[in-house]
Amino acid sequence: MNNTENDIRRYSEIGFMCGLEIHQRLSTPNKLFCSCSSRGEKENTLPEAEISRYQRAVAGEMGETDRSAEFEEKRKAKFIYHIHNDTTCLVDIDEEPPHQLNMDALSTALCVAKSLYLTIPDELEPMRKEVVDGSNPSAFQRTIKMGLDGKLEVNGRNVVITGMMLEEESAGIISKSQSGTTYDTSRIGIPLVEIDTDPYLRSPTEARDAALRIGLLLRLTGKVQRGIGSIRQDVNVSIKGGARTEIKGLQEVSSLDKFVENEIQRQQALIQIKDEVIAKKIGAVGKTTDLSNILGHTTVRIIQNELKNGGIVLGFKVSGFNGLLGREINPQRRLGSEVSDYAKMGGVKGIIHSDEHLEGYGFTMEEIRGIKEKLSISEKDAFILIAGSSEKVSIATDFAIQRVKLVQSGVPLETRGVSNADLYTTRFMRPLPSGSRMYPETDLHPVEVTKTMLDEAQASAPNPEKEEKTLLKDIGNAATAKQLMLSPYYSLYKSITSLKNIDKQFVANVLLQKFTELRRSGFSVEKISEDRLLELFTAYSERKITKQGVEEALKEISKNDVAISELLKTANLLRISGKDLEKIVKEFMAKSSDADKNSLIRNIMGKYRINIDGEELHATLEKLIKWKQQ
Amino acid sequence: MYGTDILNALRKNKISIGDRITFTVQGKEYEGILMPRPETGDDSTLIIKQDDGYNVGIKYHDGTILKIESKKAEGNKKSKNAKMEADQKLPKVTLLYTGGTIGSKIDYLTGGVRVLTTPSELLGEIPELAGMANIEVKDLMHTFSEDISHTEWSKIAEAAETAFNTGSVGVVITMGTDTMHYTSAALSFMLQNIPGPVVITGAQRSSDRGSSDAFTNLACAVAIAAQGKIAEVGICMHSTSSDKQCSFIRGTKVRKMHTSRRDAFKPINSTVLATVDIETYKVEYGEECKKTTKKTAKSYPKFESKVALIKMYPNADPKIIDFYVEKGYKGIILEGTGLGHVAINTVHKEYSWAERIRNAIGKGVIIGMTSQCLSGRVNPNVYSTARTISEMGVTYCEDMLPEVALVKLGWLLANHTRKEVKEQLSKDIVGEISSRITYKEM
Repeated sequence: MNNTENDIRRYSEIGFMCGLEIHQRLSTPNKLFCSCSSRGEKENTLPEAEISRYQRAVAGEMGETDRSAEFEEKRKAKFIYHIHNDTTCLVDIDEEPPHQLNMDALSTALCVAKSLYLTIPDELEPMRKEVVDGSNPSAFQRTIKMGLDGKLEVNGRNVVITGMMLEEESAGIISKSQSGTTYDTSRIGIPLVEIDTDPYLRSPTEARDAALRIGLLLRLTGKVQRGIGSIRQDVNVSIKGGARTEIKGLQEVSSLDKFVENEIQRQQALIQIKDEVIAKKIGAVGKTTDLSNILGHTTVRIIQNELKNGGIVLGFKVSGFNGLLGREINPQRRLGSEVSDYAKMGGVKGIIHSDEHLEGYGFTMEEIRGIKEKLSISEKDAFILIAGSSEKVSIATDFAIQRVKLVQSGVPLETRGVSNADLYTTRFMRPLPSGSRMYPETDLHPVEVTKTMLDEAQASAPNPEKEEKTLLKDIGNAATAKQLMLSPYYSLYKSITSLKNIDKQFVANVLLQKFTELRRSGFSVEKISEDRLLELFTAYSERKITKQGVEEALKEISKNDVAISELLKTANLLRISGKDLEKIVKEFMAKSSDADKNSLIRNIMGKYRINIDGEELHATLEKLIKWKQQ
Repeated sequence: MYGTDILNALRKNKISIGDRITFTVQGKEYEGILMPRPETGDDSTLIIKQDDGYNVGIKYHDGTILKIESKKAEGNKKSKNAKMEADQKLPKVTLLYTGGTIGSKIDYLTGGVRVLTTPSELLGEIPELAGMANIEVKDLMHTFSEDISHTEWSKIAEAAETAFNTGSVGVVITMGTDTMHYTSAALSFMLQNIPGPVVITGAQRSSDRGSSDAFTNLACAVAIAAQGKIAEVGICMHSTSSDKQCSFIRGTKVRKMHTSRRDAFKPINSTVLATVDIETYKVEYGEECKKTTKKTAKSYPKFESKVALIKMYPNADPKIIDFYVEKGYKGIILEGTGLGHVAINTVHKEYSWAERIRNAIGKGVIIGMTSQCLSGRVNPNVYSTARTISEMGVTYCEDMLPEVALVKLGWLLANHTRKEVKEQLSKDIVGEISSRITYKEM
């Protein structure tokens, strides 16, 4: 039995279930339902306008309200939207009905659907997915199911693709504070495809590899956006006795497995705590009590500040919980962190609990005694304090109590986001949405999928297996071929190698090994734009720069981005060839008439290493020596 | 509606909309809840809702086998806060429902709109209303605002009169927004003698979306109505695109100025009468507000519908006036250009309106002049064209909006003698004409 099989058995024993949702932005010029540019946010520009809104949960098509929607509404959150005139129109801020569906985006989506062997419906039904976290001013995201029941080969096994959606991108968050959440509306409405697998990925590494494979397939269409945030992976994880947890917005696919591992650890820890709590019959929540008087003269900074601004401090007892709130459940995260996440949703900065180093906060012994007395805390009990404005504290306390009570059921159904990317830990974002938050987008007509559309999609559908074979033939090394296909530079590689006179192996080598090498030596090659790289290799294909010159040019433009034509002159990188080369060779031959070919090459390359191509020098020398001998 | 083939197959298999079904098309099985067919699209395509909430459309073919899995589940239709009940101690406000998505819920299965009639249902949806007023909902009609005519205006006016005379301190009217400013103008004339505010409101975003302005607009309207402090008929909608405050604008000085924005309703040649803060529901009254003085309400619901609004534009055919005269119309409002002009000095005689206007006036038709500029006042003295038109007997309607002038003329003709109508048309009755327009009113 090999490692992989061992792994799979191990995960199967703990009842591991895992599925992926991959979100990828498409690179159409316009947004999905309006004519705004889909360029997205421009950094460091001031918005032309700002609006503020509230949202509330409304019943879905089936008459039920979604639990995550109700949760968001309870927060009474205010949303502020920044508006940039060049990327945002009335459609994006919910002030104008959507325009017709972007047919470019539709054809790309169909092409992806075909390559995943999905069954495409005869008629596409635009839907509204209710989202009241403010990330869309309309309080819903427009989304269309493009296909169902497909498959994708991952490491020799077929992974089931349950569905694919074409939908709108949401707004990007700028800041979150007690007074509200601020979003940039530039991104809203950029076309996005979502690809979902079934929940039967067998191990964290298989999940990671499936994500890599889906990413590759999307890049192979050549019609997806690149760069930070353009692809996001959500992963759903559960184990036996735990519950489905959705980890949202992982941007770095290579560490996806590590987040999954930590989630398993978190669920195991929560299940263990649950078992303890049930066995000991502990966890009763005491009466919420105002402690503002007891802490009236406190020097604890966070409490002092809130009280000074007219706020209050509420506290409550959790029976028998002494030691539990401080229990570590993930690297640098305790049960108390989970409770704190919930409280923060009420708009407060967090909680203080009795398992923390209270003296470290600045509490006096007298204050601690006062709190314990007022809340009737015995040695076995724990307490939680929350400070802030009275309205926020009351909502936050409700949320915190809700989470404490959920300890009894182990793992709550949650949507979680990244807490610490270096530690691969997550934090609570909102309850997991139930399925009832979809209703038809009545402002749009259903879209009939015609045979012509399907045929075109089939013809342009990417085929990774075929591509891999061609690549192997071109560069000869299987490992490099595989690595290149998964790398973000693959489509650039294809553009470059479609030029004339290109050594494909050399290009692959530069984009993979050379880039890594240069990065390690401190050159930020990742900052070089694809356009610039294409320009550089075009110069190479036109024999204006040598292979050695390419490396020098990379070093230069990673520091200072200039046009290649200019760089060739200023950095003295122009290739010397043809008549000019002959002239140099002749000079060297005249200077040392008795030197043999090898020492001539050594001498010439010693001086012109970067400007002269070795092969051409060789050929020129051969020609001139032969000519001299005649 | 589905096509005949599908309807027959559904009937045969005793399947209704909302049932969970399975069916097989070309070897592939689908399962989900059968959804109703929207008016658009292919009626031979079945729409099913899958378990993830998505609808997909699958073409029905001969030989498709439909099977019922389970009958429609009884959804939990209870309101969120069913406990909340009307508080008799609070001031009574009558809510007249006339149509539109505000104050109603859409049933996606039947496609129908259901009015929230009981206070508990309404409070369940809009908890902000609790503590504001003791609301009585009257389900008057379910009419699209574009389908509303003068008979509906009269019915609403009478219902408002009854509401005031049976203890309400204010009346809120919910309706579709398209012709809301015509209704507000009509009610302004029909309800001149009222002891409290008549607040018309609606929604630019339907109440089935979480971002709807319906909830806040309605709550702001109720806030004004419940105070009963002013005797004004007006429209209460968002002041800006933000959820910050609502503006209460006089019913004769307001116009829908945008097809879709929340802040579509703007005061023209006027300022807002009052504002309501969306966060606190605090009402700030402007100085222009007419204070409540009367005890009982009296409505004047009669309306003469033989009045027309004609827009002047280059190449317009003046014979349109003859058409109305022949049809027995009693009044015409012209929407002229600039300061109140129509073509009378044309090179080609057929484009001149002069003779047609003279002819109509000769036959007893009352003609009023307004401007398509909307903002600003018409003036018959500046250019010779206007002087001539005025001399023909056309009444210049000051800074009155064309739509308001039309409604006013119809109301005057039904309630006054012809001589009075001619005099009153350019005189202010309910605030529809202002003697001065200040700099900020644009």
